[in-house]
Amino acid sequence: MLKITDLHAEIDGKEILKGLSLSVNAGEVHAIMGPNGAGKSTLGYVLGGRPGYEVTGGAVEFDGQDLLEMAPHERAAAGLFLGFQYPVEIPGVSNVQFLREALNAQRRGRDEKPLSGAEFLKLARGQADALSMDQEMLKRPVNVGFSGGEKKRNEMVQMGIINPKLAILDETDSGLDIDALRVVGDGINRIMRAPDKAVILITHYQRLLDYVKPDFVHVLAGGRIIRSGGAALALELESEGYAGVMA
Amino acid sequence: MTELFVAEVMKLPTRRDESWRYSDLEAVASVWPVPAAEIIDVPAGTHVSRVIVQDVATDAVAIRDYRVILRAGATATFHVLNVGGTLGRVTIDVTCHEGAHFELGGAILGGDEQTLEIVTVLNHIEPNATSNQVVRSVLAGRATGSYLGKVAVARHAQKTDASQSVKAMLLSRTATANAKPELEIFADDVKCAHGATVGELDANALFYLASRGIAPAEAKAMLLRAFIGSVFEGIEDEAERAAVEAAAQAALERMLAPLPPAGGAGGGPV
Amino acid sequence: MATKNAEAYEAVSKTYEWGFHSDIEQDFAPKGLSEDTVRFISAKKGEPAWMLDWRLKAFRLWLTMEAPDWAKLQMDPIDYQDAYYYAEPKAKPKLGSLDEVDPEILRVYEKLGIPIEEQKMLAGVEELDAEGNPKRRVAVDAVFDSVSVATTFRKELEAAGVIFRSISEAIKEYPDLVRKWLGKVVPQHDNYFATLNCAVFSDGTFVYIPEGVRCPMELSTYFRINAENTGQFERTLIVADKGAYVSYLEGCTAPMRDENQLHAAVVELVALDDAEIKYSTVQNWYPGDENGKGGIYNFVTKRALCQGKNSKVSWTQVETGSAITWKYPSCVLAGENSVGEFYSVAVTNNRQQADTGTKMIHLGKGSRSTIVSKGISAGRSDNTYRGLVRVAPTAEGVRNFTQCDSLLLGDQCGAHTVPYIEVRNPSAQIEHEATTSKISDDQMFYAMQRGLDQEAAVALIVNGFAKEVLQQLPMEFAVEAQKLLGISLEGSVG
Repeated sequence: MLKITDLHAEIDGKEILKGLSLSVNAGEVHAIMGPNGAGKSTLGYVLGGRPGYEVTGGAVEFDGQDLLEMAPHERAAAGLFLGFQYPVEIPGVSNVQFLREALNAQRRGRDEKPLSGAEFLKLARGQADALSMDQEMLKRPVNVGFSGGEKKRNEMVQMGIINPKLAILDETDSGLDIDALRVVGDGINRIMRAPDKAVILITHYQRLLDYVKPDFVHVLAGGRIIRSGGAALALELESEGYAGVMA
Repeated sequence: MTELFVAEVMKLPTRRDESWRYSDLEAVASVWPVPAAEIIDVPAGTHVSRVIVQDVATDAVAIRDYRVILRAGATATFHVLNVGGTLGRVTIDVTCHEGAHFELGGAILGGDEQTLEIVTVLNHIEPNATSNQVVRSVLAGRATGSYLGKVAVARHAQKTDASQSVKAMLLSRTATANAKPELEIFADDVKCAHGATVGELDANALFYLASRGIAPAEAKAMLLRAFIGSVFEGIEDEAERAAVEAAAQAALERMLAPLPPAGGAGGGPV
Repeated sequence: MATKNAEAYEAVSKTYEWGFHSDIEQDFAPKGLSEDTVRFISAKKGEPAWMLDWRLKAFRLWLTMEAPDWAKLQMDPIDYQDAYYYAEPKAKPKLGSLDEVDPEILRVYEKLGIPIEEQKMLAGVEELDAEGNPKRRVAVDAVFDSVSVATTFRKELEAAGVIFRSISEAIKEYPDLVRKWLGKVVPQHDNYFATLNCAVFSDGTFVYIPEGVRCPMELSTYFRINAENTGQFERTLIVADKGAYVSYLEGCTAPMRDENQLHAAVVELVALDDAEIKYSTVQNWYPGDENGKGGIYNFVTKRALCQGKNSKVSWTQVETGSAITWKYPSCVLAGENSVGEFYSVAVTNNRQQADTGTKMIHLGKGSRSTIVSKGISAGRSDNTYRGLVRVAPTAEGVRNFTQCDSLLLGDQCGAHTVPYIEVRNPSAQIEHEATTSKISDDQMFYAMQRGLDQEAAVALIVNGFAKEVLQQLPMEFAVEAQKLLGISLEGSVG
């Protein structure tokens, strides 16, 4: 589904990704772990197409298409979802309005019929319920006045509504208490655990992986993947620390 | 060019001149032409601070103009106490180059028939400069206190951060407070904000103080001191700060003194 | 009387093409402005002598006045002798189908989501039947049903005793009522453009809501299906008697073209005790091209007199059109506990210039006002908020809250805020806040990552920025106004 080959990227002239390669097949969950400053978030932003992140080498193929040639909204329409570490506030625009416009833009991009207001509301309410998010929060402006945990939960509700092929979740576990972590973990499994979908979990900690069992774990350091393994690698990292694994 | 400039300076202002719209033009005429502005050119990377206490005699007219040029990375701190004269006017025209910072703390305390004004123009002509202006006014009697402050951000003066906070309080129905905090912005990546309020002393606070045994007049004075207090906090020289605060205190006391009977010097029928 | 009313409403409701047009065929005053022009206009309208005298007085006054120069506007002086002051509204070429309409206009209609039959009406399409006779009326009736809807509305208004006329008709039919209030809120000498309007106003609207009557429908609803109600020198007078309520919408989201460059309208509102007037404007006149060529100069004087106790006037405006906008819908809050509101969104793009805001003059005890202004500048445009809050010495317990926010799209435009605060009563509580911002890169990326293209992302964020104002609009216009903001900003980013 996703094939990253020797990816180099820089921001403000500083190289962050230095030859990163990674293949993700449908049906797989990959966890990317690594110390601060390793380039984890940069990877998510580069895949999402954030302006300012300049790709200086390498290739990324998504479902047979050249991902790097596509504008951010085209990547979204193609089925790529980026869960933000710091979800952005958009004053005055309600969650419902935001998501309906976004979803219908994506559907139009795929030549699908836009959802009516009623259809959309039904979908949104279902997802909010499944993630134990208060229905009222759907009406509130996007992320404005949300706590850290509420923002992350809202990202998952968005993911459920948009129903992407590939989700790249950047530290979705940070800011969540234990109960919320379980809800979010269950949500990821419910929405994304399917033979035709894939997930890249970017995280610091093992704890989310207790709920979402990864098929592969990669250690990202210095802008490249320096080690890959199965779920056991995460446990090893937890006990030995990055220094131990990287040594 | 120079001649033209002089001619401009010599021309007596009228109501149509925006920065004079609230002024006492008769008083202005009595001292016209006024001396040229004092020019304070602050070299790159250096700091200057000025404390201006405008407390001329009650029947005098004071018009003071300052033109400040802050070269790259220069900073200036101005503190202004404007309390004296039938007309007391302090004008500060500031030009900020790259990364400069300007800070103003101003207080206008007026009573009787006084017209007191602080007029500022902040020209942010290059990127990354910042400015912060705090002005507090207390007006009694038939006084008029005005703050006219313009922040102008030139095209390409990105990352400008300019703020203005203006608060005024009226102690009598015959006093006037005017404020015109103006923004003229030609760059998009800037943070410019201003807030202005006019109001009276918080009745809850007055009652709270009264319930602790503080007499109304004293409570009022206490709250007013607090209202203008923060303005002068930034004065670095302690002796200087004490002197300004004492002058402000004296002005407040004059304003709070019981009015002479109707027809007397300060009050007069409405 | 009832029949007469019905006829009059009929005339107001019809488009110019088959309404006023037939009465004034072939007539226009020669170019230029003189007493003769004024006499000509008055005679053409068959006005009583007092009205002519009133116009002439204004004209003589105007000759002595100067155009105001304090606004932040750059324009060449207007040659008042090089313009027509009374020309019949230009008959649009009759079109057979929408295929013949300017595709650019159709594209905007479509983006606004205007129903197809209504598009035809706005564009002046007249379909022919098999025999070659116009079938428009029938078609519209059958599909969109606008005419019959309008008829129903007229009956409802009549039954409620609401007077709703063109101002020319009102001058003849209700001279006492018109004389009592005309020029009382905006006096003849008020300002250059208002005085000009007094002398040469062409037509406009008169509304009177009798004591205790709540106008049975939003007059906005009425106009939605009779969109062509604006003119070059428009004059509007709305009087809400004690306890009356009316909501009035002026303008249209659909793009409006006009050959006349200078527009100088006057709107006067009067609210007596416990009355409320809600006045909404959507202004989408031709803004000129990308280089600032052409476009309407819109110099408007709008003022409300909240004369009665507990009276309330609320102005809401969405200004996206015109090359130059100069307008300050204001409230004179004379009544005790009267309320004034001003909600404004002004969008400028390309070379547009807008200098707009409000004046809240507090004279009455306990009067309150709220000002919310959202300025959006793009391209090489300039957008100025100019506002005054004044509290008179006798006005105890006044409250005002003002919020002025500017949004800049790009680094070639300007956003300016010029508030005047003048307070002469110690019990007043005045709060004013202003901010300036741009759309952050984070917001853009977030919206685009969720699937919106650049244009849609900008439109969405701008609508969020303007929401507080848009939600004041009558429901059926709010949706279109939202789309309008996006359309007005097309091409401004990226």
